[in-house]
Parts: sequence; structure tokens; C-alpha cells
Amino acid sequence: MLNTKVKALLGAAIASVMLGLVSAPVLAHHPIQAKFDKAAEMSVTGVVTNVDWKNPHVHVFLNVKNGTTLTNWAVELESPLLLKGSGWGSQSVKPGDTLTVKGIRARDGSRQLWSEEVTKGGTALLTLKNLRPAVPAKKEPAPRGADGKVILGSATGYWGFPSSYALVEDAVKVKMDKYGQLADLSDAAKVAPLQPWALALYKNRQQRDLRDDPMFLHCKPPGGPRQYQSDLGIKFVEDKINQRVFILMGSGNRNYRIVYLDGRDKVGSVTGDADNPLYYGRAIGKWEGDTLLVTTKGFNEDFWMSNGGLPHTNNMVLTERFTRPDMNTLQYQVAIDDHGAYTRPWTASWTMQWVPDQEVPIHFCQDNRP
Amino acid sequence: MMSIIRKAGFVAAGLLLAFSVSAQEGHPLKGSWIGEWKGNQASGDFLFLVLDWDGKKVSGTINPGTDDMVIKAATLNPDNWTVHIEADGKVKDKAVSYTLDGKIVNLELPSRSIVGTWKSQNGGGALEVVRQ
Repeated sequence: MLNTKVKALLGAAIASVMLGLVSAPVLAHHPIQAKFDKAAEMSVTGVVTNVDWKNPHVHVFLNVKNGTTLTNWAVELESPLLLKGSGWGSQSVKPGDTLTVKGIRARDGSRQLWSEEVTKGGTALLTLKNLRPAVPAKKEPAPRGADGKVILGSATGYWGFPSSYALVEDAVKVKMDKYGQLADLSDAAKVAPLQPWALALYKNRQQRDLRDDPMFLHCKPPGGPRQYQSDLGIKFVEDKINQRVFILMGSGNRNYRIVYLDGRDKVGSVTGDADNPLYYGRAIGKWEGDTLLVTTKGFNEDFWMSNGGLPHTNNMVLTERFTRPDMNTLQYQVAIDDHGAYTRPWTASWTMQWVPDQEVPIHFCQDNRP
Repeated sequence: MMSIIRKAGFVAAGLLLAFSVSAQEGHPLKGSWIGEWKGNQASGDFLFLVLDWDGKKVSGTINPGTDDMVIKAATLNPDNWTVHIEADGKVKDKAVSYTLDGKIVNLELPSRSIVGTWKSQNGGGALEVVRQ
């Protein structure tokens, strides 16, 4: 027979394990298709019981009457940021309101619905806006500092709304959504010169609707080129005294990357050291005319380096070029050399758009909630 | 009483370890794998596999530090995620050759498994290792 003290210790041990299990990440933030089935369209009408206005996605809970049965549905909407930009607020719908919601149902069959269409008494309540700022008709020159060098990160504003949301080899045309999911899986081999194992893994991730993405599941940093694939963007902070550039992220886990311009060596870049955060590798930069040239080694393998799930290995070396040809355009070009996952070096490029007079928006990848 | 407390501690630590596997989003075989090759009377049931990928081939060691058998051939077939591993070593001064065949299960998880069979001139049996 176990005495009370032993029982208590066993209980504590089991409880600590169970706590670990229940706090394991769920699909808190996710590509829509990872959690919801696009083919399972449906509509419900019910009375609002609660509004949960939080990152990463807002939830509205409805009591839906079906005959004599009342069931509660969780309606998942876009992020507070996008809803706010579309004219919504936490008080736009209130408990007691009767709403009709059209959307797609959760893959697991639970009473969850993803919706972008909410009506009340036949009137549309929600129209999601595209928050991409209009490009000025007249091109302004890129700002320059006293030393004549182009300034990548002006004080107010950030770079967002990329022209491409996923890595695709230059000159290749394939259709993808903003999460990097291919419209046609048979295009997978065109995306990049993948080794057979890497192609199979990439296809597996695509077939699973990107639900295994560690950036969404575990809030892992979007290392490598993925840092430049978000609407919510990045900001350059050039620290000329210490000769380094900080690249701050608005979304994800609000992480940052450091590019060293002080001519330091790349020693230790593969296995990492105390000065090497590994998710972003060890980035060494220099200016070549108006282009910031950055070479980075020493990435770990704990993240997806692109929306859509292209694999990489710790052999990956990135050579990135950042150029600001005018006030509103950031040209990004990346050469990927990773003989562990690809059959040859390859390049991809896209542009990002300047969002003036705004700080990088805050949008955490998850707040530890379903 | 201490042994019960220690056992409880080991159970908790083991379970927590099982749920704190580090991510591995690169080559699916790379990493440390721990499990069993059941019925292995020569080397014991407990099996460690340490595997690496250099961009061209899989290399590694079976039971490093104890039996310490260097893997002489290892392949991954990405069409069906089957794994084939061959290694030679010595157990109690007698030469032994092992062949492991299995399939990666739960490919998408950091704690993916290789499930299959092992065989040697001394016999064979079931194999299961979990990536740590």
C-alpha cells in the first residue's frame, strides 16, 4: 500500500506530465485549409453568446437552434488586425445579436466554422478589406543618409505585402495561395530543384494542407527567406555605431535577425555559438553600391524556410540582396545553396511594398489558445 | 519508498522527454533514435541509432559507445519512406552483421518512428525506434 506522501508525489508527477500534455500546441494559428475543409461549405444562424477578440483569430460563439436542440458553434474569423482594418471592432457584434454566418466547417467534424461572411437581418456586417496600401502614382527616390547611402528603414513605416508569398525559383510560374499551398500538387517539382527526399517531404506537407508548419504549431521563427513573406512585414533598423542591421518582424513571434556589417569572420557559423541564434543563422553583410549584400550560414533545421514547406538542411547558405530602387519598393533576391536538400544552387526574388507612417503591426502567432 | 518515488520521477521525466522532442524539419532520418530490436540476445533489446545526412548519403552508428557498430549502408526510399540499414560489428568478439528494414511512421512528427524488422546470422525480430 502506498502511503499518503508517496501518493502525493506520484500524483504530482502525473499532474506535471498531464500539464505538459494539455499545454502541447494545437492549431492555434494556421493556414485556413489546415483546420477547415474548403469543400465543406455551410451556413448557420444563431444568437451570439460571446465574442473572443484576441490574436491570432477572433472567435464569435453562437447558440444555434435546431428544432428543440440548442448547440453552440465557434465561428472563427480573421485576426483582430485585419478585422480592425476592415472597420470591425470588439463591439461590432454583441451577445444577444442574431447572426447568419456562412463559411467552411472544421475538418475534425467539431462545431467550428471559418467565416468571412457575417450578416445580421439580411445586412452584410463584415467585408474584409485588402489592407495593401495603394502605390503612389509618382515614384519618389529612395531616401539617403548624410553618407549618401540608401536608407532601407526610414523612421516611420515598414516593408510588407510581398509580391510573392512563397519561394519559387526565378522564371518558374506556379499557382499558390498566400500560405504557399500549390493549386496543383503536380507542380511541386517545378518549384525548386529538390532532391528526391526533399520533393517527397514537400509534397507530403502540401498534401497535409500545411498543418504541420512549426511556425504555426509551435510559434517557431520564420528563418531564412520566410521572414520576407508576410503582409505584416519587417522593419530595418540600421545601427551605424555598432555596424549592424536589425531586421524586426511584426508578426510571428516578433523576433529579429541581426546582420553584422563589421567585417567579422564567419567562424562557427555551421555548428553555432553563443553569438549565433541559429534560426536566422549568422548573417554577414556589406554594401555593394545601393545593395545590401548578406551572406548567411549556420541555420538549424527546426523551421520551414518558406511558406508552403520547402525543406532545407543545415548546409544551407543564403546570399541575399536587398535593394531600394525607389521610396516604395524593396527588391529582395535570394540565392539558395543547400546541397543537402537541392540538386543545385537556385535563386528566387520578389518585392515588398513600403507602408508609410505606420509602425510594424503587432500580430503574435499565437496566444496559447485554440 | 525511495524506489517508488524514483520510479515516479523516471516515469514523469520519461514522459516529459517524449513530449519535448526537438523539431527536425530537414532530412527525416537525421537525428538520434531510441527503441528496441526485440529478441536480440546477442546485443540486447535496447537499440540506439544515430543517423546523419550529408547531402548524398545517410551515415551513422548503432549503439554508440557500447556495441559501436558503424553503419556501412543506409538508404531511404522517399516513394514510400522505407528505410534499409546495414551494419557490421562485434559482439563478445564475434563478428555480427545486422540488416534493419522498416518504414518511417508519422513522418510529420518530430517524434516519428521507424517500425520494421531486424535480422542477423543469429536471428531476427521486430524493430521500433523513435526519434528523440
